[in-house]
Amino acid sequence: MVPQIDLHEINDKIQLLKKTAEELNRIGESFPAIARNTVRILASVKMLEINISDLVELG
Amino acid sequence: MPAKQKFWNPVLETLPPEKIKQLQLSKFKKIFRWTYENSKFHRRLYDNAGIKPEDIQSFKDIQRVPKVEKSMMRDIQRKDPFPYGEALCVPLDEVTIFRQTSGTTGQPVYQPDTWQDWEWWMECWSYILWAQGYRPQDRVFIPFGYNIFVAFWAGHYAAEKIGCEVIPGGVLDTKARILKIQELQATAMMGTPTYILGMAETARMKMDMDPAQLPISKITCAGECGASIPSTKKRLEEAWGAKVYDHAGATEIGAWSFECADQPGGMHVNEALFLVEIEDVETGEIIEAPGRRGKMVITALDRMAQPCVRFDSKDVIEWAAEPCSCGRTSRLIKGGVVGRADDITKVKGVLLAPSAIEEVVRSIEGLGDEYEVIVEKAGDADRIRLRVEVLPQAEDQCALIENELVDQLRLKTNLRYDIEICGCETLPRYEVKAKRFKDLREKK
Repeated sequence: MVPQIDLHEINDKIQLLKKTAEELNRIGESFPAIARNTVRILASVKMLEINISDLVELG
Repeated sequence: MPAKQKFWNPVLETLPPEKIKQLQLSKFKKIFRWTYENSKFHRRLYDNAGIKPEDIQSFKDIQRVPKVEKSMMRDIQRKDPFPYGEALCVPLDEVTIFRQTSGTTGQPVYQPDTWQDWEWWMECWSYILWAQGYRPQDRVFIPFGYNIFVAFWAGHYAAEKIGCEVIPGGVLDTKARILKIQELQATAMMGTPTYILGMAETARMKMDMDPAQLPISKITCAGECGASIPSTKKRLEEAWGAKVYDHAGATEIGAWSFECADQPGGMHVNEALFLVEIEDVETGEIIEAPGRRGKMVITALDRMAQPCVRFDSKDVIEWAAEPCSCGRTSRLIKGGVVGRADDITKVKGVLLAPSAIEEVVRSIEGLGDEYEVIVEKAGDADRIRLRVEVLPQAEDQCALIENELVDQLRLKTNLRYDIEICGCETLPRYEVKAKRFKDLREKK
């Protein structure tokens, strides 16, 4: 059974996550632990975008 | 973790077909623009064809985008940015993962991936494994060499992503792997059909073990045709007492298709992540209707470091007529990948697909799993020899077996073969992909 979910709400949270990770990545420019970990987080966020955001973007 | 949920992505996997098309077109436009703007190699190709990102408005426009063949990738690599050449779309320091193709068809092609691309590989495989029933409570054994080919690396990491416990069976030999499966009570496994059959043979013949008594309940096969050939699937499932599922992927493409737990006699294309077109081999026309075989042209819609845009894979497929009972709306390719366009060859004037021989050999109970086909010249004429192994319990039935082989092969391939029946364990064994078809004729 497909769960009842609000894709727009989920997408808003994904974009917030992305924005936060991007900011951290910028802050971490000279802080390897932050920089490299946020690269990985952003890769995972991209997977969330593939699964949810790309579809929401279609309207 | 919602282990009871049937779909990895319950929204994408049940999208109406028209929505899938809309999504594919939208994503193709983006990946085409990315590739055009970042790959010098592709840009040259597209400029020469007079096609730009803004020209892509429909699927007909997509069909105008020039295809890329493996040989083209070989030609541009081993140059700067070294070693990938001008198809690389990201700075070299963003490349985290190196793999190369197996080299079966020529010089290996290098495949760079960023960490995001690698996550994407794992995501593609997560769709596959979830559809095949892998869940966090599974203990997955991976009997592969963990080498320079992508093979089951992403399957390993996807199993971890899903939440399974993953046992890397890399350095162990076949016997040690079987013992480890037994010791740790592994419930699932991945491998090529050739190797999985070989493991079963080793267990039976050299360890006095019945692999069907081991706790393996599901096996994912990939790397070569086999798990979608009914007689091979039957042998695999009977040998292991497990469900066997097919998957087709490639280093330069990604993990694009999978058989689901309903075993519908075909494989789903993951259409939210890949655009598959089937091209008529003779006319180049795109085949939309089910029931007509053609060559697959494929685009990975999210792969960034070295994009795969309208890659001419040479895989021969056809769309199935009916949707799958599992509820996924992504289309099925009937019978999986039925062969490769460059494997299909003319023998005595007749077109021959090697998979048809496998289906016959493995449907005969008294024969072992291994076989070998040799095509050579006898004077001006072609000669085709088939070498098979008879099982010890069927050694008194060689004449019957030979007759059945001759009849079935004539029916399925329209050819007459010189049959050579060998004893058990005579023919070559393969660790990974088999090379059973040997064409010794001079290439024109």
